[in-house]
Amino acid sequence: MIDSSDSTRIVIVGAGMAGSKLAYDLLQENNANYLITLIGEETQVGYNRIMLSSLLANDISAVDMPLVNTNQMKEEGVNIISGDCVVITDPITKTLCLASGRTVKYDKLIIATGSRARMLPIEGAQASNVMGFRTWHDVNVMADLDAKQSVCVIGGGLLGLEAAVGLVKRGHLVTVFHRSNWLLNRQLDSESAELLLSRLQTMGINFRLGESPTSFVQSEGGLVTHAICSDGESMAVNLVVMAAGISPEIALAKAAGLKTNQAILVDEKMQTSHPDVFALGECCEFENQTFGLVAPIWAQIKVLINVLKGGEAYFAIEPVPTKLKVSGVNLFSVGRVEPIEGDSCIFFKDVGANHYRKLVVNDGLLVGAILYGNVADGSWYFQLMQNKTDVSDMLELLVFGEAYCSPQVA
Amino acid sequence: MTATITKTTCPYCGVGCGVNVTVPNIDSGLSLDNIPPVSGDLDHPANFGRLCVKGSSLAQTLQSDDRLLVPTVKGEAVSWESAVDTVSEKIAQVVKDHGPDAFAFYLSGQILTEDYYVANKLAKGFIGTANVDTNSRLCMASAVVGYKRAFGSDTVPCNYEDLELCDLLIMVGSNAAWTHPILYQRIVAAKKQRPNMKVVVIDPRETATCDIADLHLAIRPGSDAAVFSFLLQHSVDVGVLDSAFISRHTNGFKEALNQATESTPTLSSVANFCDISEQDLLLLASWWAKTEKTVSFYSQGVNQSASGVDKCNAIINCHLATGRIGKEGAGPFSITGQPNAMGGREVGGLANQLAAHMDFATPGAQELVQRFWQAPNMATENGLKAVDLFQAMEEGKIKVVWIMSTNPMVSMPDTAQVRRALEKCELVIVSDCKAHTDTTAMADVLFPATGWSEKDGTVTNSERRISRQRGLLPAPGEAKHDWWVICKVAKCLGYQSAFSYRNVHEIFAEHAGLSEFENSGKRDFDIGHFSRITKEEYDALIPVQWPVPKGRPEGTKRMFEDARFFTPDNRARFIPITPTLPIHQATPEWPFTLNTGRVRDQWHTMTRTGDAALLTKHTDQPYVEVHPKDAKRLEISDKSLVRLTSPYGEALLKAKISRAVSPGNVFTPIHWTLQFANAAVVSNLIPQVADPLSGQPESKHAQVKLEAVKNIAYGVVISAEPLQTLDFTYWCRVPSEQGYHYEVVWSECENVASIQAMLEGSIQSQGEWLEYTNPKTHQIRLAQIVNQRLVSVSYLHPAPESISCDWLESKLMNKEALSDLDRMAILVGLPANVEDKGAIVCSCFQIGTKQIEKAIKEGVCSVEALGSRLKCGTNCGSCLPELKHFIPIKTELSA
Repeated sequence: MIDSSDSTRIVIVGAGMAGSKLAYDLLQENNANYLITLIGEETQVGYNRIMLSSLLANDISAVDMPLVNTNQMKEEGVNIISGDCVVITDPITKTLCLASGRTVKYDKLIIATGSRARMLPIEGAQASNVMGFRTWHDVNVMADLDAKQSVCVIGGGLLGLEAAVGLVKRGHLVTVFHRSNWLLNRQLDSESAELLLSRLQTMGINFRLGESPTSFVQSEGGLVTHAICSDGESMAVNLVVMAAGISPEIALAKAAGLKTNQAILVDEKMQTSHPDVFALGECCEFENQTFGLVAPIWAQIKVLINVLKGGEAYFAIEPVPTKLKVSGVNLFSVGRVEPIEGDSCIFFKDVGANHYRKLVVNDGLLVGAILYGNVADGSWYFQLMQNKTDVSDMLELLVFGEAYCSPQVA
Repeated sequence: MTATITKTTCPYCGVGCGVNVTVPNIDSGLSLDNIPPVSGDLDHPANFGRLCVKGSSLAQTLQSDDRLLVPTVKGEAVSWESAVDTVSEKIAQVVKDHGPDAFAFYLSGQILTEDYYVANKLAKGFIGTANVDTNSRLCMASAVVGYKRAFGSDTVPCNYEDLELCDLLIMVGSNAAWTHPILYQRIVAAKKQRPNMKVVVIDPRETATCDIADLHLAIRPGSDAAVFSFLLQHSVDVGVLDSAFISRHTNGFKEALNQATESTPTLSSVANFCDISEQDLLLLASWWAKTEKTVSFYSQGVNQSASGVDKCNAIINCHLATGRIGKEGAGPFSITGQPNAMGGREVGGLANQLAAHMDFATPGAQELVQRFWQAPNMATENGLKAVDLFQAMEEGKIKVVWIMSTNPMVSMPDTAQVRRALEKCELVIVSDCKAHTDTTAMADVLFPATGWSEKDGTVTNSERRISRQRGLLPAPGEAKHDWWVICKVAKCLGYQSAFSYRNVHEIFAEHAGLSEFENSGKRDFDIGHFSRITKEEYDALIPVQWPVPKGRPEGTKRMFEDARFFTPDNRARFIPITPTLPIHQATPEWPFTLNTGRVRDQWHTMTRTGDAALLTKHTDQPYVEVHPKDAKRLEISDKSLVRLTSPYGEALLKAKISRAVSPGNVFTPIHWTLQFANAAVVSNLIPQVADPLSGQPESKHAQVKLEAVKNIAYGVVISAEPLQTLDFTYWCRVPSEQGYHYEVVWSECENVASIQAMLEGSIQSQGEWLEYTNPKTHQIRLAQIVNQRLVSVSYLHPAPESISCDWLESKLMNKEALSDLDRMAILVGLPANVEDKGAIVCSCFQIGTKQIEKAIKEGVCSVEALGSRLKCGTNCGSCLPELKHFIPIKTELSA
């Protein structure tokens, strides 16, 4: 074990994707002299959270889950503390107290506490069979359900739909409540959402759009047994999965006196209001934005590694595409998908083949795209957006994808 | 044996090329679908094995979805007996009530000589009317009268070899490169071999023929005669007259010269009249003066004129004055446009002829013919020529008309008048092989006729060469030969014995018999050698040039070698000419002069060429050629829709911006009918002005106005089924291999919903829609898929653009399910990574503009090199002029 007084003690709180990846990447920095500690409250550390949906859907197995090689990290000197969580942070003494009673000293503290499922304040929702869908543990709970349970999923966003698909594939009866009138309303327009809806319906999922349960009925044992719909219908349920958004986990930061808003405020160097404390991932907030997708978080890691080395690096917000991780459903959404004044929308619609494309262009630039069905061109469109490529000369064939347009670019 | 090769003659232009057709033995189970491409007959003296694109595509036209298969009366299918009874009773009744001139035949240069012969005989000898006219009136009537005035007979002096042997070829009013491609190719080859051979083109337009011209005189429309009046005077001035020939073999030289001098006194007056430079005119004159072997080659540009006959005689005068006639490589050579215009002339199948090159006015002719035919009711004077005939019909004087194998609703000037005439007529009989033409739509009785490849008989080409068209395929349905139907009606009218031919060769033999009957050299047309021809001899007939009198079976290569003409004193006549311009000239209201003509790959009213998808690749839609200056002023862009209006009607055509026409002049092709486009019948615009002597209409001249059509969107609809309703501002059906292809113009306010509604109302099957909308480019594209099969594709664009539809058409009613990407590609128009050929230039090998441009970009710098690389231009060669244009343009760009 390396223990040298001139090495920098870096402590990462949170061993989710951001924390684990940061620890792993820091290890690859040959010239740095870091003593890394990674602390996670989950017993599993360093797994790819994104893959939970696939794991739930039985599309993959546990062996496909690791994001980083924790064994290798341990061998190379990373101190990994799992199943324990930090309860007190003292920026003055640069000391952390863990729930287990251990204390850990740091030179640089990185907060990567991520987020929690947002639990909607619905009457009767305080019950042990009302859960989020965030962790491997959550998957295990759902995997251990008895057969053919009635599950109510609250939220028709990415996570809710992935949970619903996973559960329906496991043979459960799933009803998704979604407040908006169409699914994935932040990523899709109503027409593409319609295609998605009918695809998911054929998979056996029931939907109640434009609606949330008004309350839950609990049994004497405190378990939710029924969801009450807005039309008064009472629906029997065995399990409720809340997937109505996430809340950044900032309790620790607040207690430590760091500046927070929705999440921990950071600057372009990922620095919090305290010079030796940094934050990244879902728990941080930059320019009024929080982050739920992996791409900006990877960018934050790069910035932070540079900053820790004393280098010049700045984080900036870029558009990020989203994809739904449901096998057999291909969708891609990036940028501004609902036009504002000055935007034009180019459409390709092939409802029969479940193929839909919408491009939003403004002043020669592609500013948003929805692809449904065939998403092969998604990365190309994303590239055009990132590079701010002038697409004025490609407008005629742009919606048909790279194969038709690239000769013109060359 | 499963197939036989049969020699026959091409049904298109007047060149009369020999065609070899491989006919599968139907008994052996081979389908007609599999008839291999035809080839040129190496032994035929017209073409020696070459064929143009139209001829090469004949096999594609052997089967049509639109054949007329049964006789109909008022739209009801009836038996032949009943149809013939209906017709005969009506003819008998009107002749009885109103006299024989209440009946008329309107025939065609596409029927065979034998058909022509019996029609002419029935009308002029038995019904007793000379109202037998033909679409040849529109084609070469002026040339006929020109020859007759000069020679006393309708005798074409020259042969095709003369075109190769001459040292100066003056092509007047002919775009032979497109209209007579094989003759043109022979000229090109001759000029290549003898680069000193000069070619002069006299044409208001710069046509593809100008490609080989050493000099192009872009004369004022209709001013041709002045050029030749000038050449006549110039021949005097520079002393190249053949005084001995003039004095021994001609009359009237002095009068002709005087009139030429009076009407076109000076070089500058002629140059002004013709709107050409004096230098160019002098250059032509100097070549004319020094070139003994000169052929003047003229066609519809000369003939279709109110002064067409005078133009012909102005040309002939020059040849007579210099003795350049009846000699190798010299003569005034009229080239006919139809496969058997000449055959019609030979039997006398025109209203101002009697029979066998005899006129009503020929002393003793009526009596001679009457005796030969044993005719009970001889007509005694000229009948009505086409324009007069249709006017008499409108006036109610002609009550029954029998139209055979022609489409006057498209080809006659002033279509509105022709419609009124046919509506007025009590019985309109139409014999045709097509069910739907603009003219069959007007018929009370339809007779299903055999077509080329089924008919059996003879045709005569422009060099007097009689060739056989041979029946290769069985008649479909109840279709019958025209001669059979005419004879059937004749017999029904009571003329049993005179029309009891058992076989077509008997008609030919009788025709030959009449030609030699009491002839003994008095009449040019004598094919007496054939008057006792047997069926075997007839079937084995090899192409031969008339006259073929008894004792001269080899025929006659060239006429007037003995300088004996067929006038009473055997002298040729000079005709005094005063060149005149068309009566209708530009006015502020009608500022543009319209010229008309053919495109390379279509023929007449497209009833046959319209069946071959390949032939639409060169020119898929009708167009109006407009000079860039005029286009700019009128805000007309290339391929945009233009409305042409004349006092007689209107047409909607796509603009083709081109310097080939002079400012103030426009040009449109003649081919498109209501079967192919909603408003492209150009005859709509043309007044019924005709030459007073020949009766040939001035179909190449009208005064019109032009305007850009606004507030429209352009597009295309491709459909597996024909559209039931064609609710477009403009539509043009482009014949295609698969399904139905419509080039369309929509109202600009169309949207996805309105287009869908229109197509749903127009196509039987309903299915799912694919949709592409792009507000940035104002594009809408829709495709309709029913049970995984593509049934329609519609594109709408704000501006005209060419979309290559071959791939789309190939996807119609696809056998295999379409992949998602294929479905998307349908709204692009082509699959990704597939070469876009561009507009097809070489129809034979399907080579397009983009391929040619690419080859040139990669260093190919000659037409020959293009040919060896892409094969373009190496078959029929008719695209060579266009290929040539790619080369200089590219050189300029890269320079």
